[in-house]
Amino acid sequence: MKNFFTIWFRELSACFLSPVAYVLMVVFLAVSSGTFLLEVTQTPVLEQPLTVALFEAIVVWLTILVTVVSMRLFAEEKRSGTLETLMTVPVTEEQIVLGKYAGALSFLILVTFPIAITLLLLVAVSPSVQLADLDTGALLTGGAILILVSSLLVSVGLLVSLLTRNQVIAAICCFCAVWGVLLFGWIVTLATGGAVQVTMITVTDHIRDFSRGMVDTRPLVLYVTGTALFLFASVRVLESRRWR
Amino acid sequence: MIVDVKNLTKRYPGKTAVDDISFDVQPSEIVGFLGPNGAGKTTTMQILAGYLPATGGSVEVAGYDVFKQSIEVRRRIGYLPENVPLYTDMRVTEYLKFRGRLKGLGGARLRARLDAVFASCGLTEVHRQIIGSLSRGFRQRVGLADSLLSEPELLILDEPTVGLDPNQIRQIRNLIRGLGERHTVLLASHILHEVEMVCNRVLIINQGRIVASDTPGKLVGLLRGNRRVSARIRGGTPQTVQRLLEAIPAVVHASCEPQGVWLQCYCESKKEDDIAEDVFRVVATNGWCLHELHEERRNLEDVFAEVTGEENGNGGGHR
Repeated sequence: MKNFFTIWFRELSACFLSPVAYVLMVVFLAVSSGTFLLEVTQTPVLEQPLTVALFEAIVVWLTILVTVVSMRLFAEEKRSGTLETLMTVPVTEEQIVLGKYAGALSFLILVTFPIAITLLLLVAVSPSVQLADLDTGALLTGGAILILVSSLLVSVGLLVSLLTRNQVIAAICCFCAVWGVLLFGWIVTLATGGAVQVTMITVTDHIRDFSRGMVDTRPLVLYVTGTALFLFASVRVLESRRWR
Repeated sequence: MIVDVKNLTKRYPGKTAVDDISFDVQPSEIVGFLGPNGAGKTTTMQILAGYLPATGGSVEVAGYDVFKQSIEVRRRIGYLPENVPLYTDMRVTEYLKFRGRLKGLGGARLRARLDAVFASCGLTEVHRQIIGSLSRGFRQRVGLADSLLSEPELLILDEPTVGLDPNQIRQIRNLIRGLGERHTVLLASHILHEVEMVCNRVLIINQGRIVASDTPGKLVGLLRGNRRVSARIRGGTPQTVQRLLEAIPAVVHASCEPQGVWLQCYCESKKEDDIAEDVFRVVATNGWCLHELHEERRNLEDVFAEVTGEENGNGGGHR
């Protein structure tokens, strides 16, 4: 357990040791709040609650953020050879995978959550919007689904990062995999010409429902088990190096 | 015994890196692992450290199986990989603290060990620096400090002095020699001089096989070929000197070449014959001047060249 926290802490602090974290934070805040503000201020009549617009704007850019954060998790260590030093100290594969995962996820949460400031910005720029108009319940459930989606996407990114030592390949594959997960329901529906309707695993629908304040327990199970599946696969991939 | 390797084999697709090798290491030994590039040194060390799986055979470290009880083995080793991979964005202290915690150290013991390795590896003045800004030599020392951190029973050092300047090499060499009192050290190197000076025992590996294993002294003794005496003489013409030297009964071959006012002469004899005295007598009876007379010591370099089958310009060329 101690090793898990040691790796978690190292992974999180590694993000802040390089300028990458600060650049990511600023750019992410700028583009996602820009997207949100544009949508709200340019649409004459908003057909959906403000929270839906906010969380959709975040998720679109979250895909890039997840890619940038998770591509380096293992690909970087493999390329620089530090994986060799990490795998020769008394640390289990589970501790390494979970520690790195926790580090990446906590960094992601740290970066995405200041976006709430955007709402204050919105109030400042448009006199017709009041803070009281916001549904705090919907904000909380939206935040919850954001964490759940991030958990799943980071676990996918971590697995992809384990499969290559090249960061560019890791980034491209990770980006595709992340969008693949987000749009899985749509892809199945389109591919089968509408014959198969996949509704329960369409991430975009979950985000819309949760950020309107609609809590459904089925997606909760989906995200928790999905994350567990990808983390389990990652541990096995890391272990497979020692199989013979 | 602390390391017990039996019939270890490692195959990569299309290549056998380590081919059925067996050896053991006793506690407090400093064993040098010697071989040309690509001989399988690094692969063997990576298997010993539990990083790579073997294709066949068994490896035990301190009584634990490297494959089945990997964590127990890793608790007992300190491993310095070949290219010293480090997290270049961390400070030296931060990095070593992180590594120490992973190795199960903490609190006062971690602080005490940090101070100890800073002192023994000469890192005290750079401990606040970011690793990425350090020179090659200092990075090497950070890697070495890391491997020493938990006072492991077995140290596996893959080319520990690459990229260091002569002073640093001497420091590290003394450090390793000192380590031999409390730790067992397995050291890979292709710097023969270093191995000869530091190690109690040498394993020479070539094309995945162990071709020689003994103390450096005994290995040199095993060499085939002739003894050679070198002398610098002034007095006669090269032809006369050579003729008179060849007249010594035990000499099988003599050569003389002028070098300035001196003649550089080499006399070779069979391994069991000592001819230095005879050479001196020839010089004395003819009234020549003798500037230098010594028997050339054969060293590990010659052994290395002989067993790895490579011609070596300095050592092996005149066999």
